[in-house]
Amino acid sequence: MTQTTEFKLSGQLDPALSDPATRTLQADKLIGRWLNTNPETQGVAEIIIERAGESFLVGVLGVGEDGLITWPQTKATALANLEEEAGQRALALAVDFDFGFMRAETYLRVNKGVLVIVAYYIFLDDSRRSNYVNREFFYRHA
Amino acid sequence: MQFAQIRDRVIAEPKSAGAGNLSTLAGVWVNSNPETTGITRMVITQSGSQLSLQVYAIGPEGLIDWGSVDIDVFNATPASQVAAGFTCLYDFGFVETRLQAMILKGLIVLAQIHKFKGGDNRVDYFVREYFALEHGRY
Repeated sequence: MTQTTEFKLSGQLDPALSDPATRTLQADKLIGRWLNTNPETQGVAEIIIERAGESFLVGVLGVGEDGLITWPQTKATALANLEEEAGQRALALAVDFDFGFMRAETYLRVNKGVLVIVAYYIFLDDSRRSNYVNREFFYRHA
Repeated sequence: MQFAQIRDRVIAEPKSAGAGNLSTLAGVWVNSNPETTGITRMVITQSGSQLSLQVYAIGPEGLIDWGSVDIDVFNATPASQVAAGFTCLYDFGFVETRLQAMILKGLIVLAQIHKFKGGDNRVDYFVREYFALEHGRY
């Protein structure tokens, strides 16, 4: 009896997706403390990525009025990133932060030593603020 | 006003029905890579204040029509009324695909997050590709 593999695009048939080693592709490249390349940012100042067994935990410090604001440390979904620029194979992370008044749906990836976060901010309060998307860049703290 | 970063402490203008410029997203967007093994084309259509997306992807035997879904629009800043990106979800039963798009320098940068469900032993994965708007001018 043959087993058929369901797909909605050819990339879902990539044999690497069935390789257990793919789950830990270059995980070490993500782990650590990352600082925003823009010292004047009004957004995310710092990202801390930790390994917890098979999982990843992501902590964020946002820039506040009187100092940094600690976001809730949140478990990430690890994703194989098989088609990064320059043929790199790595891991990406998807993390959704829930603040009650706002949700931030983010993904993080490392490209050429730079951590990139793309965040989709969704306001759940009555402040009339627009949901918006933003991208920021981070370098690894030595 | 609550915020998790100072950028979000803004006074926003009242939104009116259908407010915001969605025209930056509407149109036919084509993958810049003709050798893609993923999404080849996105058709974004405006109906009033709502945008819908129809995706075409490449399969071993040709194009696969994913059908149409409504998309959630994101602006460039919390005070902006101009569309700068979108997200949406396709649930195919065996896999859930979240699309997260952002306009950069006239291109849509599309992140795809594919999460396999049930007993499927494939690894969840991420793809990022570029799409150009078919403008028909040249």
